[in-house]
Amino acid sequence: MASDRPVREAENRLEHFNADRERLLAEVERRVVDRRVSEAQQGGDASLEYVLNDVAFSEIKRLEAAKQKHGALDRWKDLSRRLMSMSDREKESELHELVRYYGRDIVGNFDPRVYKFATGIGPSMLNTLFSPMTAVRQGFGVLQNLDQRIHPDGEVELAHTCAERGTLIVTPTHSSNMDSPAIGLALLRAGLPPTTYGAGKNLFTNPFISYFMRNLGAYRVDRRLRFELYKDVLKEYSTVLLEHGYHSLFFPGGTRCRSNIVEKHLKLGLLGTSVTAYKNNVRDGMPNKRIYIVPATINYRLTLEAETLIDDYLAETGKSRYIITDDEFSRVGRIVEFFRKILAHEGSVVVRFGRPFDPFGNDITDEGDSIDRAGRLVDPASFVRGANGEVSDDDQRDAEYTRALGRRLAAVYPKLTVFHSTHLVARALFDALAKRAATRDVYRLLRYPQTEIPKAEVLAAIDRLRARIIEHPGWGAEHPAYLNQATSDKLADGIKGLSTFHTRVAVLDHGEQLAIGDLKLLYYYSNRMAHISPESAS
Amino acid sequence: MSRADTVGIVGGGRFGTALGSVLARANRRVLLWSRDAAVVDSIQTRRTSPRLPDAALPASLTATTDPRLLAAEARFLVMAVSSTNVRERARELGNYLDGSHIVVHAVGALATPNNERVSEVVGEGLPTLKIGVLAGPALPADLVSGEYASMVIASNFEEVVAEGRRLLNAPPVLRVYSSKDLAGVELASALAGAYTLALGLCDGLGMGVGPRAVLVTRIVAEASRLCVAASGKERTFAGLAGLGNMLVRATERSADYALGRRLADGVLTADTQRTEGARAAVAGAELAETLRVRMPVLTGVAAVINGKLDPREAALLIGDTVAIEE
Repeated sequence: MASDRPVREAENRLEHFNADRERLLAEVERRVVDRRVSEAQQGGDASLEYVLNDVAFSEIKRLEAAKQKHGALDRWKDLSRRLMSMSDREKESELHELVRYYGRDIVGNFDPRVYKFATGIGPSMLNTLFSPMTAVRQGFGVLQNLDQRIHPDGEVELAHTCAERGTLIVTPTHSSNMDSPAIGLALLRAGLPPTTYGAGKNLFTNPFISYFMRNLGAYRVDRRLRFELYKDVLKEYSTVLLEHGYHSLFFPGGTRCRSNIVEKHLKLGLLGTSVTAYKNNVRDGMPNKRIYIVPATINYRLTLEAETLIDDYLAETGKSRYIITDDEFSRVGRIVEFFRKILAHEGSVVVRFGRPFDPFGNDITDEGDSIDRAGRLVDPASFVRGANGEVSDDDQRDAEYTRALGRRLAAVYPKLTVFHSTHLVARALFDALAKRAATRDVYRLLRYPQTEIPKAEVLAAIDRLRARIIEHPGWGAEHPAYLNQATSDKLADGIKGLSTFHTRVAVLDHGEQLAIGDLKLLYYYSNRMAHISPESAS
Repeated sequence: MSRADTVGIVGGGRFGTALGSVLARANRRVLLWSRDAAVVDSIQTRRTSPRLPDAALPASLTATTDPRLLAAEARFLVMAVSSTNVRERARELGNYLDGSHIVVHAVGALATPNNERVSEVVGEGLPTLKIGVLAGPALPADLVSGEYASMVIASNFEEVVAEGRRLLNAPPVLRVYSSKDLAGVELASALAGAYTLALGLCDGLGMGVGPRAVLVTRIVAEASRLCVAASGKERTFAGLAGLGNMLVRATERSADYALGRRLADGVLTADTQRTEGARAAVAGAELAETLRVRMPVLTGVAAVINGKLDPREAALLIGDTVAIEE
């Protein structure tokens, strides 16, 4: 922890979630339907006929592509057929039904018993629950001590102050499907309250993770549903959650980062709901009910899905395989291995929290008050007010605010990055190879002949890299627990990490020489330092 | 008249006063903030400004030395100050604004010392994010005499552009067009002054209409390249902020044009006497080098200003020895 002052555990607002759920859903339904019906008066693309047709058309297309012949498909074909003859009242009724349906599909659950269990109070139940699965039991054995392996640091106290004053939106970098549980445990260890979060519906097919996700406040995001009404319901759900004070977790980068480069171009996704929720708070006369965006990085010594992700990145199929369903995360055995081998390593995951921003990208004081770029106190409510003090609605303005917030997040991520031995070793080896081949183009390097690199050269390169990182705090920092580690130990630990967990061996230890076993993996781990210029160019 | 319908002008210089005068004549309420008490007193008591002595200013144009009053009375503000003190003025003004204010600047230059776009500098000093730029061929004398003039307003925020058009349109004298290309309009406006200087240089050297036409087209081509490299749009320089701005200034009334003619006569100007256009030429050439954009005209003008190139040699650069596709 960054300070000797114990951080008091913040209130777990999610404990009240189940009692609130129906009210929240009703609010989402009311808002979306009211808005859509009101907009329908304009006709054209906003008409209910168009909105309903968009849903039916998208669903038919999706289900036909998935080769679904009956059942669900018939329901949408029927809607498509009936649309032309439906009265306005019938269309409104259908809209109500659809919004309710998608709302229920999205909504999460929070079971305090599962929370207590997952956070270590009931670990003895694990063996009973999972006794038929020996491998899983071994994995969970490590899970019982998992929180010891996750090291939260950074602006924890300030995040705690913000959690007491308002609602947190934790916005971490995203490189693994293990991120949600990792950050959940990091929040717990930091004495911060748990958050609700949107998780891809595909993740719920994994029995190991889905049990916890279902009961720890995760709501389901079906990325296959691209029509506007679904996005509308999803955003409204997030907005209502924030307004009701439920701390949330968004991954602004969208999907997992394939390359392992610290995210620069953020998709922002649901982040825009922070402005909407705060604007609604101001409109409801509660401008001091603040919303804070907490930047964070999740830094793994080894990433569970590294092999699949980098293959996908290099094959330039990242977009087409936006939802990867057949990676390491889908294989229970690999997850167990991950827990047993990788997370057994002390401090194998560092979650670093940065200073929070307000929804407009403004910095805040230690008390949680917004300050402008010149360091002066500024009223965040003024950002959504018009000339006469009235709260004004302007979607384009709010989207621009969110882009400004995204730029602040992207700018702060490198500084919050924590480098493990695996990153340092990978970067030093990659640089050595690039120097020999006179190119940093990975596709050319992949065709470069197998080369041995003296350990002494790599050791010296890591030394220089460590010195440069200390000189440039804006680039990130080494793992705090290993700052004083001898470079030779750092090298040995990095080699061990890069050669023992993945199915492919990234680095081969030949005594005094090192050889690159799998350049793709090496490239993946070195990419965490891609924002650090090569030595000669700095 | 309400706060929403009031235009605040920051700076009591020629352009700010002329703009305020046009708007006031179009029945807009205008409040001008100047730090110079003599200017404020002159406007308030004699309805004239020492910076624009020939203009009779209408009663609905008022002036103050109090920035707090300006912020309270107007949500929409135009910063009409020089590039050399825009940073300081923004910071001072920022003490009184909040996130609801809209600020557009009318500074046709890059900010010193790092050649940043003025909206970036203004943004660092102000709490509001709603920032834009106002640029185009509107000379103070034309505005005051009621000549037809047009400008373009650009911002990332549609609200800034919409409010700017609502409040600044004053037909038949001033028409305001809109753009989403904040970076492009700012850069075009900054470069226009530099290229006005190039036209002065060209005319001062007695070059004919043919070479002058070549010069104008080469200017549009290279400035457009720089706009794109700096995240602007390719066609922006060919609009009001760039080409329009440059052509309207190519007369002896413009300090940039006059400086170009003096340079042609071999008169070197000290740094302190440089015009906005001269500063923009030097800054633009540095930016071009940083962004690795080939700009023979601009770099030639900058070299002449810095005394590193003879004006007649600079004229040869217009022809551009490297043939490129038009």
